Amino acid sequence: MSPPPLVADGLGKRFRRDWALRDLTLTIPKGAVVGLAGPNAAGKSTLLALAAGMLAPSEGSIAVLGRDPREAPEVLAEVGYVGQGAPLYRSFRVADTIEYARRTNSRWDRDIALELLTRIDSRSKVSALSAGERARLALALALGKRPRLVLLDEPFASLDPLAGRELLQLLMDGVAELGATVVVASHVVADIQRVCDHIVLLSSGCVRLEGNVEELLESHRLLTGPRRPLGSIRGVREIVRERHSGRQLTLLAIADGPIVDPSWTIDPVSLEELLLAYMAPERLPMPAAERVPLRWHG
Amino acid sequence: MAWVTWRQHGSQAVGALGLLVALGIGALLTHVPIGSAFHHDSLSACVPPAARTGCDIIVPHFESEFAGLVTATRFLTVLPLLAGVFVGAPLIARELEFGTYRFAWTQGVSRRHWLLSKTALLAAGIVVASGAASLVVMWWRSPFDRLGGRIGPSAFDVEGIVVPAYALFALALGVLAGLVFRRTVAAMTATLVSFAATRFLVSAVIRPHVMTPLHRVVAATAASGMRGDWVLSNTLVDGGGRQITAGHEELAVLHAQQAGIDPHTYILTLGWRRILSYQPAGRFWTLQLVEAGLFVGFAVVLIMLALWLVRRTPG
Amino acid sequence: MIEFHLDPQSGVATYLQIVRQVKDALRLGTLDVGDQLPTVREVVAELAVNPNTVAKAYRDLEREGLVVARQGRGTFISSTLARASLQHHAELRQEFERWLETARRAGLDEESIRALVSTTLRESLARRVA
Repeated sequence: MSPPPLVADGLGKRFRRDWALRDLTLTIPKGAVVGLAGPNAAGKSTLLALAAGMLAPSEGSIAVLGRDPREAPEVLAEVGYVGQGAPLYRSFRVADTIEYARRTNSRWDRDIALELLTRIDSRSKVSALSAGERARLALALALGKRPRLVLLDEPFASLDPLAGRELLQLLMDGVAELGATVVVASHVVADIQRVCDHIVLLSSGCVRLEGNVEELLESHRLLTGPRRPLGSIRGVREIVRERHSGRQLTLLAIADGPIVDPSWTIDPVSLEELLLAYMAPERLPMPAAERVPLRWHG
Repeated sequence: MAWVTWRQHGSQAVGALGLLVALGIGALLTHVPIGSAFHHDSLSACVPPAARTGCDIIVPHFESEFAGLVTATRFLTVLPLLAGVFVGAPLIARELEFGTYRFAWTQGVSRRHWLLSKTALLAAGIVVASGAASLVVMWWRSPFDRLGGRIGPSAFDVEGIVVPAYALFALALGVLAGLVFRRTVAAMTATLVSFAATRFLVSAVIRPHVMTPLHRVVAATAASGMRGDWVLSNTLVDGGGRQITAGHEELAVLHAQQAGIDPHTYILTLGWRRILSYQPAGRFWTLQLVEAGLFVGFAVVLIMLALWLVRRTPG
Repeated sequence: MIEFHLDPQSGVATYLQIVRQVKDALRLGTLDVGDQLPTVREVVAELAVNPNTVAKAYRDLEREGLVVARQGRGTFISSTLARASLQHHAELRQEFERWLETARRAGLDEESIRALVSTTLRESLARRVA
């Protein structure tokens, strides 16, 4: 049984005085396409940088494919990382960049890389490429080494919708061929909700929500009804968030069975609404002992 | 990594080659009058220890004729610094400044391997280039060195094995500065400042005392006759060995002039003498070896420091 | 070869949409026994969806006995769903289109037509069962 692609245990990262991540424990299942969601400065980039061995943990540990990415650089040959803004050598030509990746990774699959580079002239300079072409090149470099784990930090930022869709198509095709696990960090949920089967929501350095998307959407319901004092509602296991507007009360609830209560209108919840609700720092008062982030495993 | 290093530093190699070619051509062209003057006046007969009559006139004449060019060669001591400022400092600083380390350090080679291979390859190239430059300078300066020795600072700094050693030191300094300051311009500045400071300290404080200086006593008014040797200090002392200050010396000269006596004769009768401390010309290679060893040692320590630090960067 | 389309706003899971589209194609006769479904990679490259999702849809169809996966060759339709003959389909479609014209001329918008069709269908089915 091969080790999970990414395991964080009590992971914390501090920059001078501020903690970008604190006490983060997470296991990414193999073969999943994971959306790493959350607002800006939530710690998404920091988490990916720690996974790619670029930063060292301040406390706790992170294991990629069972190893510490800083102790075992050969593990990085199995990790395809595309940083924010697709960092590349601007003065290099496309062909040079490919050659660079080919020579510094033990495994290189020319065909996978070339598939991503159709319609790009290999003699053009990287600085002359459009944002979409640069993103495709960075992805080609990451996938060409046949990684087992692909980490992408905000790959769709600065891409127009067409280029973004093309990148997603190419990414999913590459993942289908490689059977790789993917973690995509994006603060725009719409970009990734099409493809993610697993979601991790970060906010202010902590995991607020984590689990299989299908199960999460199945178990949460939106209840709307007239404003009133709340008792227990049959079928509702827990109320995550409530919202008042005028005389209407909206609840986001976790159901443990069918909700049978004619005084409420029951609706399914979209992924975006779900994430927004869990991102909000204030939650309903809960007994202190139960104040833990909810975990759902796919 | 050889391909990677060539691809990223190839233009620097071409620049260094260009510089060498320019140096070579400049040396060839400017040497023509020097060589012909040397032969025309048969100055080879004046090379110590030979000394025929008239040498003490034609040698200074020869030296002053080309004094400008000779002084210009002193500025070549800046060349090794270029290795540090333009090759060493940007090496890591650029990657950190432009964020490309996020690409370079997430491939299948460890950072240490990346840094060590690059530095080793660049060091090899730099040693070859600076060695060649040193040879060109030594060839160009040989008439003056034969007449006046090469152990003095104006020749020592730009000849021999110290030149590649300085260049290696500058490279290592630049690499470490890039890691510490993480910005190219700041790293370049730090490299320049610390290189200059170290070179100055070593040549002013350490080099004179690598081997115990010799002493020679000469008459107070005689020319030092120390051709080829490196005079470190020239002290006027009285009969009892006590130092005579410049003020005291002026007073004596004034006294003699007032009394109508030739000052030189007067000083001789006082029993004053000069004590010269110097490093003899023959110690040139010993001093070179020690100083080169010192700078190569510094370079090794700095590189090891860089290898340790690179694992902890960016944070 | 069938081409899938995805409606991300519909609230229906992607894999269910794929299953439904295969079944619809079978009912309409655009897919027949022996036809090959697009490979997982082809669907993924076209729609930009998770390959696990497509694999799940194909597995569900296989479990229902509608398709069979042949190792190394692809996924093929293995049986059809009960359906009216194609000839009737064409007639019914024409009649329906004429009715739609009438409804539009009477001033019904798309929402009203949908509401009318689904309510009538539901009530009619209920009456047949009863």
